Formats: sequence, structure tokens, C-alpha cells
Amino acid sequence: MSAPVVSLRALGVDLGRTPVLRDLDLEVAPGEAVGISGANGSGKTTLLRVAATLLTPTTGTAEVLGVDVTSDARFDVRPTIGFIGHTPSLFPHLTLAENTSFAAELLGATISDVSSALAQVGLSAASSRRADHCSFGMQRRAEFATLLLAPPRLLLFDEAQAGLDSGAVELVDHLLKDVVARGGGAIVVSHQRAHGGLPLDRTLELDNGNLEVAA
Amino acid sequence: MTTRIRLLEIGAFAGIAAALSAALAVPPEATQGDLARMLFVHVPSIWLAYLSFTVTLVASAAYLKTKSLRWDRAAGASAEIGVVFTGAAILSGMIWGKPTWGVWWTWDARLVLTAVLFFVYLGYLALRRSTEDPTARARRSAIFGMLAVVQIPIVHFSVVWWRTLHQQASIARPGGLEMDPPFVAAFLAALVAFTVVYVALLVRRIELASTEDEIEAALRRSDLPVAGAAVVTPDLRSADV
Amino acid sequence: MIGLRHQAAAIARRDLLSEMRSGEVLWVIAPFAAIALLLIPLGIGTDVPTLRRIGPGLYWAVVLLFGILVALRQSADNAGPQRDRLAMLGADPAAVLAGRAAAAAVLLIALEVVLLPVMLALYDAPIAGWGWLLALVPLVGAALAMLGTLVSAVTGPSATRPALVPLLVAPLAIPILLAATQALEGLRLGESILTWLLLLLTVNLALAVTGVLVARPLQEAG
Repeated sequence: MSAPVVSLRALGVDLGRTPVLRDLDLEVAPGEAVGISGANGSGKTTLLRVAATLLTPTTGTAEVLGVDVTSDARFDVRPTIGFIGHTPSLFPHLTLAENTSFAAELLGATISDVSSALAQVGLSAASSRRADHCSFGMQRRAEFATLLLAPPRLLLFDEAQAGLDSGAVELVDHLLKDVVARGGGAIVVSHQRAHGGLPLDRTLELDNGNLEVAA
Repeated sequence: MTTRIRLLEIGAFAGIAAALSAALAVPPEATQGDLARMLFVHVPSIWLAYLSFTVTLVASAAYLKTKSLRWDRAAGASAEIGVVFTGAAILSGMIWGKPTWGVWWTWDARLVLTAVLFFVYLGYLALRRSTEDPTARARRSAIFGMLAVVQIPIVHFSVVWWRTLHQQASIARPGGLEMDPPFVAAFLAALVAFTVVYVALLVRRIELASTEDEIEAALRRSDLPVAGAAVVTPDLRSADV
Repeated sequence: MIGLRHQAAAIARRDLLSEMRSGEVLWVIAPFAAIALLLIPLGIGTDVPTLRRIGPGLYWAVVLLFGILVALRQSADNAGPQRDRLAMLGADPAAVLAGRAAAAAVLLIALEVVLLPVMLALYDAPIAGWGWLLALVPLVGAALAMLGTLVSAVTGPSATRPALVPLLVAPLAIPILLAATQALEGLRLGESILTWLLLLLTVNLALAVTGVLVARPLQEAG
């Protein structure tokens, strides 16, 4: 049995003085895609941010790709985590191509990778448009292009398929299948229990700061 | 613990009472008269300003090393007391300065430095107020403390160099007073009394802060609802009424 | 993974590109600072000898106070999802601080260069030793940039940041102000200004070392 991709034990997270998650356990095995649903404000994003090493646990422990999220090693695993938050994160004044090139530079990918990634997400013709002049869906696609530059070992999608056309949803589907096929893991978070029909191995429900198996 | 704090506080009151009587009992100073009595407040305040700043810095460094919130509470408590006494030092200096120099403020290096210290303290406390999460607050304020440690000596030297270049007519300094034994004794009494007051305030403030933290920890252990519990399914029927 | 220097350079280039597109420093902060230089004589009187005397000092005070805004500019994209994106791309915290400080230094030097002729025109202040300015202006810009970037990172994305950063930076920037004004004064009097340049160099070094030391603890989540 190989080590889990994500391992959260007795995890508790407070934001400011408000408890959001409490005594939560979650393990994502290699090759597993997990869906988590829950009501507005139930803590889905908080859970995902812990898995992205962007948030430290208040209590309990969190290990991602074998690394404790409070250790300095988290800086090294971050490029291997594909995190798509619920708001697009592109730099607004840069074009889609510049945004992707900047990511490529930090990830150590080449310029030819950038144009092929943008072509794969169907944005070649729009690549010289500034991010703040692009629609939500286009910005999302450009974020997916970054994931194609350096295929991640862990995918974290926060409502990633919301507001996307069918072609872009297929892209989400492809990214998910790809990471699972390579023995990585994925956590997909959304309001809907059906998760837009994504290929998931199991689905959980986040309620009262804790996880239960979805009905 | 509580009894010891109580004893410390009684000691602080007794010390202040003793220092006050000593300060009023000494005969007026030869050149400055009664005005010299201001030094019994001014100099101990400056001493406490620097003492509490040092305690804050040491506690900040200890926090970064140990990550124990006890040190952060000490750092914050000492800074709060420090800002009060730095203010007191500046204010008493002004009250002494107006009749002595004819102005409330002069651009003496020591004055400028005390003012800088006051504002750095204020900024430090503002930074603490702006961060709600206890761990983030502790980390950020400790790091700002370290930044201040590096910068303040440079501020000190730059101000001193600047003043040496612009040496003005020498002014009467508190140090130029004739200090006879009763005056020195009253002065030492004030220094000791102020220090005891500082320790008493510090211990009490740290105790208060740790009680606050305990209450919070207790609330966390109990069934405080999670953030998500505040959101329920929308009920459109209730809007019809 | 690429080296720290490459990361820092990429981040600095990105910051400058964003600033070029938004024009926040040169089209908003610089004119605002220039207005300050215009307002002060209106407040204190327009006596030419007085203006000549106070011009250089006011120039530096304005550079310092308005320069703090450079660290707070929106185009730094230093909050929210963009901040997360930079972190998730694996940028080393020290490289992020260095890259941001380098970009801020370029912008501050530009601000100094733009404001200098404004001050010279409005105050008719005599400047001597122009060659020395080639050392003075970058040293002041770099020091202020590092201080602003560091403090801005310390305060984190808090709601009070726009007011908090100036409060924290201003008292610690006193050596920069004193060194800059005294250096200009020294040049006017034909004295050596090496002491003041050395002071600026010390400030720069001290801030650079502090930045490297606190970068990782600062980046801790939360």
C-alpha cells in the first residue's frame, strides 16, 4: 500500500475566531478522485486550501504528497499541486500568453510548451488578450493551460467546472482522468452532489465542519 | 499566583506613595526650583520606555524560536505599557521644557529618538490589532519587532550624526543639576517604584491575556457551532407573510 | 525548479509589466506627489529664498511619504487569488520578496526622477554635484522599496493595510530621509557626502539581510 496523496487527521481549522472545520479525517489514496459537496459556507474552500498548503491547521495534522503542510518542504511540493480556486487567479493586466509564460518560467517549462498548452485549451487565437478583458470561462481555461505545462500529482478543484461550456467541462474531465491514471490524487469540491458528472471514485458531504459519506 | 500578584500591586502602590513623598520632601533644587521635581517622573518614564521595548524584543525573539504564545502575550503586554510610559516621558519632558527652554519641543537627538520609539510602538500595537488570528498575529508582530531591532540602531546613529552636524547653542540639560544626597535618594526611590509598577502591570496584563486565551480555548472545546451551521436552506414560504 | 535569481527576476518583470499597463505609479502616484510639492508653498508662503532653502528637504520628504504608496499599489497584485497563484507556482518566499522589492525600487527611482525637475522648477533650489545623484537616487529608491515591501509583507492582506503600512514604514525610514537630505545639503556646501552614502548602503544591506531571514516565516499560511 503506497502512501496516501492527502492525509488529514483530526483536522480542525479556525478562521479568525470562528471554527470552520472540526475533527475531520480524510485520506486520498494514489489514483483516487474524491468529490466533496456541501452547503454554502460549510468549509469546502477551507478544506481545499489546507490541502493546497495555503492554510495551516489549527488542530490536528495535514500531510500532502508526503509533506507536513506546516514544514518548509511545502514550498517544494506546491508546484506539483494543481489548485484551481473558485475565483480566477490570473494577473489581470497580463495577457493570457503572458500569464501562462510567467507560470512556465517559474515551473521551468519552455515557451513552446506555452503555445501548445494554450492551443490545447483552445485559446491560441485569444492568447494576446489581457486577462481582465476575458470572460470567466476563458480565464478558467487559461488556468487549465498552466496545469498542462507541468502535470500535477494532486488536483484540487474548487467549483472548477461551474460556469464552463461543455468543451471546457471535458477539459476538466480530461485533467482529472490524467492525474488519476498517473497515480496522483484529486479532490473536487462543489455545491452539487452530482459534481457535474465528473468521474469520481467516491463522494463525501461536508456538514457541521465534518465529512460524511454522501447519501 | 493571585496572592503574589496582589502583593506585587500593594508593593507598587507603596513604592509610588514612598517615592511621591520623597519627591515632595526634598528641598527645591538650586537653579530650577520646584521644576526639577519633574525629573522624578520624566527619567523613570524614559527608563521604562526602554525597558519595556527591550522586553518586547526579547519576548518576540523567544516567540519566533519557541512558537509559544506565552512569549507573544508578554511581548504585547510590555509594548502596551511601553507606549504609555513613552508618552508620559515625552509629555513630562515637554512640561519641563516649556519653562526651561521656552519651547515645548526641541530637535535634540534624544527627543527625536523618543518620539520615533513612540510611533514604532504605536505601529506595533496597530499591527497587533489588525490581525485577528492569534498565531498570525504573534508571527507578524514578532517579525516586525525583529525589523525594528535592525532599523532602530540605524535610526539612532543617523539622528545622532544629523545633530552633531547641526550643533546649536548648548541647552540646559537635566544632567547639569546639582544632585545633593536627598535628591539622589528620592530619584532612586522613583526609579525603583516605577520599575515595580511596570512589573505589576506586566504580570497583570499577561495574566489577563492568558485568561482571554483560556476562555477561547474552552469555547473551542465546547460545542461552539462551526461557521457553516449559520447557513440553512432558504425558506421562501416565510417571506410570503 | 529554477534558481532563486531567475525566480526573482521573473517576478520583478511581471510586476513591472503590470505597472506599465496600469500606470498606477507614474500616472497616479507621481502626479499626486507633484501636487504636494505645489501645495506646500501655497500653505507656507511663496518667499523665494525660503523655498530655495527648503526645496531639497521637502523633495525627499515627499518622495518618502508618497513612495510608501508604491508598496501599496494595486498593480502589485499582492492579494487574494493572485497571491495564492504565485505561491502555488512554487516561487520561493525570498525570491518573491526580492523580486517585488526590485520592481518597487525601479518604480521609486522613476518617481524620484520625475519629481526632481518639478521641485527644481517650483522651488528654484540649487543642486550641486549632479554626478553624486547617480548614486544617491538609486540608494534611496532601493532602501525605501525594500522597507515598503518588507512591511507590506509583514502586515499581510489585512483590511487596515493601506493605513497601517505608512504608519509602520515612516518612523523606520528616518535614516533614509536624513541621509538623503544631508547628502544634498553636503553637496551644496561642497562637503564630502560619503558618510551619508555609507549610511544608505548600511540601510540597504540591513534590510536585504532581514528580508532573506524573515521571508519564510512570513510566508507561513494564514
